[in-house]
Amino acid sequence: MKKKLLSALLCVAMVASLVVGCGGSTEEAAPAEEATTEEAATEEAAPAAEGGYHFEIVSKGFQHAFWQAVYKGAEQKAAELGDTMNFVGPNSESDIADQVQMLNNAINAQPDAIGLAALDVNAALDAITAAQSAGIAIIGFDSGVPGAPEGSVLANAATDNYAAGQLAAEETYKLIGEKVEAGGVRIGVLSQDATGESLISRGTGFIDKMAELAAAAGKTVGVVGNDYFVNAFAGENAGDGAEVIIEVLVPSQVTAELSAIDAQTLLNKEDTICIYGSNSHSAEALVTADSNIGKLGDTVVGVGFDSGIAIMDAIRAGKLAGAITQAPVAMGEAVIELLHAVASGETVSDVDTGCQWYTAENIDDPEIAQNLYE
Amino acid sequence: MADNKKKSNALASNPIVKAIGGQRLIVICVIIALFAFFCIKSPAFRQYSTILSILDYSYYISFMAIGVTLALITGGNDLSIGTGMVCYALVGGFFVTKLGMPVAVGMLIVVIMGAIMGVLNGILVAILNLPPFIATLSTMMIARGLGSLLTGGLSITWPQASTADGWFRNIFKITVGDTKLPLGFLWVLILIFVMTIFLNKTKPGRYIIAIGSNKEATRLSGVNVVKWHMLAYIICGIFTGLAGIAYAATFQAIAPGTGAGLELDAIAGAIIGGTSMTGGSGSIVGTLLGVFVMSMLKTGLPFIGLQANWQQIITGLVLIAAVFIDVIRTRKR
Amino acid sequence: MGEVILTMKGIDKSFPGVHALDHVDLEIRKGEVLALMGENGAGKSTLMKVLTGIYKKDEGTITYEGKEVEFENPRAAQAAGVVIVHQELNMMSHLTVAQNIFIGREIMKGKLIDDAKMNEEAKKLFQKLNIDINPTEKMGNLTVGKQQMCEIAKAISHDAKVIIFDEPSAALTEAEIEELFKIIRDLRDKGMGIVYISHRMDEIKVITDRVTVMRDGTYVGTLITKDSTKDDIINMMVGRVIYEDPKTKSNVAPDAPVVLKVEHLNAGKMVRDVSFELHKGEILGFSGLMGAGRTETARALFGADKKDSGDIYINGKKVEINSPEDAVKNGIGYLSEDRKRYGCVVGKTVAENTTMASLENFMSGLFINKKKEEESAWKYVDALKTKTPTVDTEVVNLSGGNQQKVVIAKWLVRDCEILIFDEPTRGIDVGAKSEIYTLMNELVAQGKSIIMISSEMTEVLRMSDRIIVMCEGRKTGEIDIAEATQENIMHMATQRN
Repeated sequence: MKKKLLSALLCVAMVASLVVGCGGSTEEAAPAEEATTEEAATEEAAPAAEGGYHFEIVSKGFQHAFWQAVYKGAEQKAAELGDTMNFVGPNSESDIADQVQMLNNAINAQPDAIGLAALDVNAALDAITAAQSAGIAIIGFDSGVPGAPEGSVLANAATDNYAAGQLAAEETYKLIGEKVEAGGVRIGVLSQDATGESLISRGTGFIDKMAELAAAAGKTVGVVGNDYFVNAFAGENAGDGAEVIIEVLVPSQVTAELSAIDAQTLLNKEDTICIYGSNSHSAEALVTADSNIGKLGDTVVGVGFDSGIAIMDAIRAGKLAGAITQAPVAMGEAVIELLHAVASGETVSDVDTGCQWYTAENIDDPEIAQNLYE
Repeated sequence: MADNKKKSNALASNPIVKAIGGQRLIVICVIIALFAFFCIKSPAFRQYSTILSILDYSYYISFMAIGVTLALITGGNDLSIGTGMVCYALVGGFFVTKLGMPVAVGMLIVVIMGAIMGVLNGILVAILNLPPFIATLSTMMIARGLGSLLTGGLSITWPQASTADGWFRNIFKITVGDTKLPLGFLWVLILIFVMTIFLNKTKPGRYIIAIGSNKEATRLSGVNVVKWHMLAYIICGIFTGLAGIAYAATFQAIAPGTGAGLELDAIAGAIIGGTSMTGGSGSIVGTLLGVFVMSMLKTGLPFIGLQANWQQIITGLVLIAAVFIDVIRTRKR
Repeated sequence: MGEVILTMKGIDKSFPGVHALDHVDLEIRKGEVLALMGENGAGKSTLMKVLTGIYKKDEGTITYEGKEVEFENPRAAQAAGVVIVHQELNMMSHLTVAQNIFIGREIMKGKLIDDAKMNEEAKKLFQKLNIDINPTEKMGNLTVGKQQMCEIAKAISHDAKVIIFDEPSAALTEAEIEELFKIIRDLRDKGMGIVYISHRMDEIKVITDRVTVMRDGTYVGTLITKDSTKDDIINMMVGRVIYEDPKTKSNVAPDAPVVLKVEHLNAGKMVRDVSFELHKGEILGFSGLMGAGRTETARALFGADKKDSGDIYINGKKVEINSPEDAVKNGIGYLSEDRKRYGCVVGKTVAENTTMASLENFMSGLFINKKKEEESAWKYVDALKTKTPTVDTEVVNLSGGNQQKVVIAKWLVRDCEILIFDEPTRGIDVGAKSEIYTLMNELVAQGKSIIMISSEMTEVLRMSDRIIVMCEGRKTGEIDIAEATQENIMHMATQRN
């Protein structure tokens, strides 16, 4: 009797979880439906319009406003071209397995092409190969799909993250150049993780450029901290004894607390003159940590990446000297353009969707503001 | 003769000796030793701002840990607190930032959601008799999805300290003159005091401990075990709500889908503080001390230049040591 | 009388603060059943633990098969042929019978366990013992009695020469005990030396050849069973005379009011249409065999288990009892047969257990008044002569009889008018037993009413004013103490449909 009751309950729980699960996917599917209706409308208005392709787009999720903007760009472009899309993404950027599952689902839906921003390329390799053998082309975006088998990913619509990192270093150097030339300084780099391609590129771009600038000023450079970044540094590494030390910290787990503690360790070191947070999570952690210390904007130059209320507020308040913003709307549009082109049988090549440096002065310029999101 | 017995008993029941107790004394020593060690090893560590940060990051874990201590004492567990806390903070923040409600209302929503989740856990565990591990594992998943769902997958930023609505951040850290004071620690101490009294001096507290020791015997004594068992989970939920407020006040942005794993920090804190995994015994003061061991390690280890992965390994070893002490202690009896 | 196989001489053992064994002697002979008796705490278990290598002795010698030995651990004792069948069954209920018997020494075929071979071996064992158990059955599906048989089979599978039974009959039905005795006799006739530890005087008379009595860690003496009376043995155990005479007439006035009336109580298969009345100041005995539904009736009455139908009246007024909480509110207290599981919260203190059912009387506003609580606990510790160092002592540290007293205190503090004693003296030594009896008589003298469930016929005949007999969930008889005999109760207890 008791067992029966239990199994009945279990069934209820399973159904309930299914409903909840479905709720989730309905929500994710909703944009697609919208797109369909709009497309229908477009078709009515201009029945001769080309298109009518269907694309599956697997993003990294929706937590950050950045992705909402990408979605917006993609949605606009799809409507314009008369295509439909199903835009999905996992709950958080650490849900690598969920994303792979979404990619598999996307392949099973047999779209005309797939857009993919892989959280972890290695985890997605099987699915990518499956797509290739099913004859479905993949277009990468955001961090793209580096290291994918040749011919599976035809082109990328992405911010050149390495270049973005370099831009951050150049702009930062303008602010700290004098101190660097004096020597005996430490430059901090906060990276949320060392697995995603975009964060790695933003980090290494910054480190390489900063090292190059410091070396040009005749200083020895040491890269210390996270092993991955230390090993990735190709230049001459003078380690802890260098005149300019670049220290890279990566938390063991993506939590606000651990990142803030990393930021704090850097802020508390006497010789730190600058800290760069390579995405909104790291930049926010930097601001959190400084709330107890108050060195940012005073003795330490803070540099962020992307936008969001917390980061924009900090820039306006002078806590952060500036930040790099990508062009998410343009990225969304570019993805659809590439997908459309592939589906139409055209040859495609990578598109750099660009990035910009913004500070308290130009934060309200329309050209910048369109890419900033709260 | 009875009088004699009473006298010899008086020393053993000395409230100070009793309140601190064996394992807790060890934990206090560990905290002091760790603090001293980090101070000596790292000049950057020995600053007021570091203590401030250790406290900052301990509030939300402390609240969760106080709550989960009750669940642990009943012989159960609550895995839903980590994702739950983030979920409630997200939803509360959503009401404040997107729907323009006053911050106070948002905070109330956070606590109420915690209480509702506590009721749900209570129903599953106390009424339907599901194993607590499974029941709260399920609600943990539900909380995780719910947070993303209700906020449309957006990350939420509660009002910043600089804005007028940022007053709630002052609940935990207030600036007097040029000094920042860790006001939140005061709240933690008050709640620790209240909950210690609750657990040891009130009827519900006594029954919650009794349920953890022997639920059936307690029921056969005419105690409404369902009610009190549920209460433990509801209180746990409310404290998770308080943790949500502390979390929102401490950090800049709250990302949906996160929070998994934070419950383990809280549970580990309670265990280090001497709460038994099998139920029936536990102390709120011990839990607070346990949380501080965890916070001290988390904050201190990066300062002495240990890489992130080592921090986790060391924390794991400390947990083993704590549980081992407990095992030895119980074996001796 | 067989030759001596094992001798323990001058065994001495101390624990911090306790002189547990004081130069104790014991002699085990081939082809003989030796009873080892003594009150709880007399040192029987300690002596057996010294023998099987669980404890190290401080002094004395053990001679086994002519050689002086000292077993390092129970494993070594087993290997030498000295095995113990424990009171608490050490069985893994999800494994099969054969897997249980061979646990820790599985028969292997290369790197894999040879289940077929183990089943075969187990079958042979059972044949040797003349018992019918399927070796592939899951242990959990067997009755307690059958599980006990498996434990015995496991013991003799070690090629045992000396077998120690530690209270083997505690959880067995009469029929199962019969079967157990058959096996024991069989083993004895095969020339094994058997030690039988039990509190049940009747069994000692039936199954044993000699009785060795211990008291307070010392050896008192050895008797030939057939030449001695129960009283002789009891006198040696307690050092005083206890009379176990049956009650001859009811102490309840004929016009005593009915305090509890139960009508047509039904609960599952074990409680079928049970009706009875309980009078003020009465001890109503519930007799019957194991599994007759007596405990189930009590639990349904108390609201511990769901009842299907039936009405309960207290002092003539109909009451709704759907949970123990309701029952307690109506002045009913229940002392479970299984104290450790259902009776007291063993990890908590004497004081906390004492006030468990009536905490509201010990509150000062929102808070528990610890002082008042401890005073009350002391009052009952003194009144019931509970042996505990302090009321702050955890109940787990008390002996069975004293744990029972704490549970009684719990209901006395609650001032329950109706008390249900379910096997009140199970596992309690003789001295404490008579104290509990005195206590029950005092309670009814004060006007309380008691329902006493007991499987010991002597207890039923000694304590009850009236006896209700149950069989297979039904009430099969009701009899005044004046007319009750062992025979007519037994007759009703076996009155199947």
